[in-house]
Amino acid sequence: MQLARSNPKSRLDGLTWLVLSLGVLGAVVGFFMAMSSPPDQNQGFVARIFHMHVPTAWMAYLASFGALFYSVAYLVRRQAHFDRVAAAAVEVGLIFMALALLTGMLWARPTWGVYWDWEPRLTTTAILFAIYVGYMVVRGAIEDPELRAKAAAGVAILGAINVPISYMSVKWWRSLHQTQSIDLTTGKIMVDSAILIPMLVNLAAFTLLYVGMVRLRGIIAAREAAQEEA
Amino acid sequence: MGRILWLAWRDLTLELRGRTGLLSAVFFLAVMLLILAMAFGPAPQDLRKAAPGALWVALAFAGSLLAGRAFGLEVEDGTLDDLLLTPGGREWIYFGKLLFQLTLLTLVGLVLLLLAGGLFYLPLQQAGWLLAVLLLGALGYAAVSTFYAGMLARLRGREVLLPLLLFPLVVPVVLAAVRFTQGLAEGLPVTELLDWLRLLMVFDAIYVAACAMLFPLILEG
Repeated sequence: MQLARSNPKSRLDGLTWLVLSLGVLGAVVGFFMAMSSPPDQNQGFVARIFHMHVPTAWMAYLASFGALFYSVAYLVRRQAHFDRVAAAAVEVGLIFMALALLTGMLWARPTWGVYWDWEPRLTTTAILFAIYVGYMVVRGAIEDPELRAKAAAGVAILGAINVPISYMSVKWWRSLHQTQSIDLTTGKIMVDSAILIPMLVNLAAFTLLYVGMVRLRGIIAAREAAQEEA
Repeated sequence: MGRILWLAWRDLTLELRGRTGLLSAVFFLAVMLLILAMAFGPAPQDLRKAAPGALWVALAFAGSLLAGRAFGLEVEDGTLDDLLLTPGGREWIYFGKLLFQLTLLTLVGLVLLLLAGGLFYLPLQQAGWLLAVLLLGALGYAAVSTFYAGMLARLRGREVLLPLLLFPLVVPVVLAAVRFTQGLAEGLPVTELLDWLRLLMVFDAIYVAACAMLFPLILEG
């Protein structure tokens, strides 16, 4: 505990608890709101999975943005704290990416008839997932903390730059050479407030959960680092 | 600028004198194309359809195989430290290695292109455009692979890590280059395909700039 107290970054503070508990509460409320939302007129009850899918996908991209931000911050300031937060953002982000992919596939099966479709957003998320798996592997492979932080920052920055480019390229790849050009994604736009409000609640809840988990992971990482030094 | 050319020239000389590395890479890729051609063949129309994909995936493998070599010798001979100790910025190391890598990849790409022409019946009439897409695509591969090879130079598991990091990043290059090559093979007018070349140029510009900026920061020491 001496160590934990000596570094403010490794203290489990009230804000983390608050964010986490609000997130859990919001997720429960959001789940019930989602389950009581009216069925979509085209897709029926299947559309309810979007209350899970959209927030997780949103978190996946928030994770990539957070990792980019903290990686740049690390390279500029060279403080180990930024590296730990970047790693936490990726690690928690990977879970949300996996959930987004999974829920996307579960939705695609009854709607499009296949589990996987080369839809630009789905494909970009899969590419992003692969990039961040690489990020975690690189972190695992390097022993020296400073070298690890630098290499990880490089991977995170190049990976985040890749998001818009690969999204555009997959979009063109699909559209320029395709016999069928029905945009399957337009069905996703929801305007009805009965669906929009639970969606926003879920979005807020997942954002809180994400931020809380990243903070928690950062604190754990700080304690691990302190223990290694001791 | 002089340093960049000298570094690339030195690496190329070493590579050509060593021979075995480059030759075994080329033969490996030739065998790979042969196997792929057998897997997709023997009907010419099937092969022609598969040709651009096989060509560009083979070149992606070449990129990850050869990238390790760009820094592998430096580490073996302990000359990486000498390079890092040279006064001045460090961007030139990246550009020198990039030039070396790009030259090797283009040479390998030319061989692969001829092989694809022979084994996969890929039409090679529009050689100028094929050369253009080869250069732009190779630059895209080389920009990312040189950066990661430098970053991982002293790691033991780099042979596995390099493709794992490289392949997801170069997805746009693969898509754009394959579509362009395929369009040429199908005889589409080039004006319809120029968007793919533009995409490649954008990718190259962004990644060469970003990697050159990051490279001095992530190198050790």
